[in-house]
Amino acid sequence: MSSNPFPLAKAELLQAYRTMRTIREFEERLHVEFAKGDIPGFVHLYAGEEACATGIMMHLTDIDRIASTHRGHGHCIAKGVDVHSMMAEIYGKETGSCRGKGGSMHIADLSKGMMGANGILGAGAPLICGAGLAAKFRGDGGVGVTFFGDGASNQGTVLESMNLAAIWNLPVIFVVENNGYAESTSVDYATAVDSYVDRASGFGLPGVTVDGTDFFAVYEAAGEMIKRARQGGGPSLLECKMIRFFGHFEGDAQTYKAKGENELNRATRDCLKMFAQRITHTGVITAAEFAVIDREVASLIDDAVSTAKGAPLPTTRDLLTDVYVSY
Amino acid sequence: MTPLIGIIANPVSARDIRRVVANATSLQIADRANIVLRVLAALAACGIEQVLMMPDRGGIYGHVTRGIERSRNQGEHRFPSISFLDMPVTGTVEDTHCAARLLRKAGVAAIVVLGGDGTHRAVVSQCTTIPIAGISTGTNNAFPEHREPTVTGLATGLAVMGRVPHGTAFAPNKLLSVAVSEKNEIALVDAAFVTDGYAGARAVWRMHTLRELFVTFADPEVIGLAAIAGLIEPVSRRMSGGLMVRFAPTPDAAMILGAPIAPGLVEAVGIDDWRRMPAGVPFAPTLASGSVALDGERELSFTERDEVSIMLLDNAFLTVDIAATMKFSAVHGLMRQTHRQYEESLT
Repeated sequence: MSSNPFPLAKAELLQAYRTMRTIREFEERLHVEFAKGDIPGFVHLYAGEEACATGIMMHLTDIDRIASTHRGHGHCIAKGVDVHSMMAEIYGKETGSCRGKGGSMHIADLSKGMMGANGILGAGAPLICGAGLAAKFRGDGGVGVTFFGDGASNQGTVLESMNLAAIWNLPVIFVVENNGYAESTSVDYATAVDSYVDRASGFGLPGVTVDGTDFFAVYEAAGEMIKRARQGGGPSLLECKMIRFFGHFEGDAQTYKAKGENELNRATRDCLKMFAQRITHTGVITAAEFAVIDREVASLIDDAVSTAKGAPLPTTRDLLTDVYVSY
Repeated sequence: MTPLIGIIANPVSARDIRRVVANATSLQIADRANIVLRVLAALAACGIEQVLMMPDRGGIYGHVTRGIERSRNQGEHRFPSISFLDMPVTGTVEDTHCAARLLRKAGVAAIVVLGGDGTHRAVVSQCTTIPIAGISTGTNNAFPEHREPTVTGLATGLAVMGRVPHGTAFAPNKLLSVAVSEKNEIALVDAAFVTDGYAGARAVWRMHTLRELFVTFADPEVIGLAAIAGLIEPVSRRMSGGLMVRFAPTPDAAMILGAPIAPGLVEAVGIDDWRRMPAGVPFAPTLASGSVALDGERELSFTERDEVSIMLLDNAFLTVDIAATMKFSAVHGLMRQTHRQYEESLT
């Protein structure tokens, strides 16, 4: 048995791999299933970006809140939302996490601190300020993490939220998932101040940029930011530079990408492969141990898809339930 | 034609975790572009006519070209002609590597580098034959000296125009050559062996992970890991050889030292022992597995199966000696103008 030079124990490393593998399998399977035409609405896949969600969420518990994006499946899985209820939700079934009324872009599970995926760009930032303010008042050490893309970073709501978080010293982390494209528009064209760290500095927040495809880079940086926020050190911004393997949405022809870009990314910047290779090289975990997880996850996702397909749809009697909150 | 000058301004430096675990600066893109403009103006004042610069997508290119255009619109002639290297831009350290190689091929007389220790290391790793004029815009700036960039530009211009004797204008520097099995890297200031077996967030700020440190120079006025060596036994940049330090857990240490290991972060470090590191002699770290941090950033991981060695090289590359050049300039009146020259400059 080799000594472990990583910041996580073996069981935690296996859990991180399982989470990333679950996200990957979930998204790869949705890519196939969506093409069959059985899934209503749009889906935006997170494949290729698994290290970001997982590296951050390894530091969070159920009391911590996250506000996600339209590309939210990875955040949900990493935050502990049940994949069966997620898959059922995406299929619009009554057994879904929101009883089939939300779909891919509105999966939520408050019991896990998952405030919801969100179809409105940049809308998670003000929501997380509310969650951060609540945690601050409760004094329970909870933190809030909001995710947004390079495109949504230009929304006024995001900038206003950074200001609010700074002046109220909220326990909030702003995570820019910079995959280089706002739908099809290059970040180089659409963002005047090219560094998100500069942007954070403008609001008096410390900002850090990491390689978002490197699990350990994300894990370390996020760990320090979350610890700081829990201790009352205030908000900060984390920019994860990453890539998405698929288009903006399923069906996107991706004509804005260079020829062979996706293939090159899969060959050279696959966060799952890099994670596994780095660990097996040290001998802390064997390839066979990872392969066991691969098989278990494949079986889990198979079951989630077949169960979701067989589940009932909501009925007309459900139209007005879960729509309004009673006070 | 006057000598050609290269500029590499890295927009991705000074973005790491030391903004959170310490109070490291975040020099904004507009400020970096402003520094480039100050250097350009100083080069022009020395008679430099052409500059070749690394392109980027981080914003420096846009700010610099707008600044030059605005000056031209006002009828000023403050800047030399500037062109940008024809190269792909990745937004990573590879841009710096590529630009250094292209500038070498273009035959520039000197390269002005904006960045921290990491950026300067990236330039030298590709090009040891062209003198460097360093401007500190990074996190730990032990290698580039803190100085107003206009002065760096003036000294660089005077040096490459041949107005200062070569032996005064340029100074030799040391480097560390690090080999981990088949991989070879360099460090300009320090190489630290740490127990982390991964690069992660790259910076080294948890002192309990430190095992050994090798430095090319030990200056008590710098920050970063090299500050530890500097506060034990100063070794100048120009002396042959460097220093090696071995660490111990603070309760068992022969000496406990408070050192500024990052901006605003003074940490207690347990020292086991230290000794001078002669040039040209290979050393092997005692740590069996972990990572080696080069100029403050974890770069290469190794296990018991890897062969690891480190060697200091004297006279490895040249830098513009700004202080010596400016002193020579003052003593010999290089910046003085006749009344006729002054009047011509107004027309």
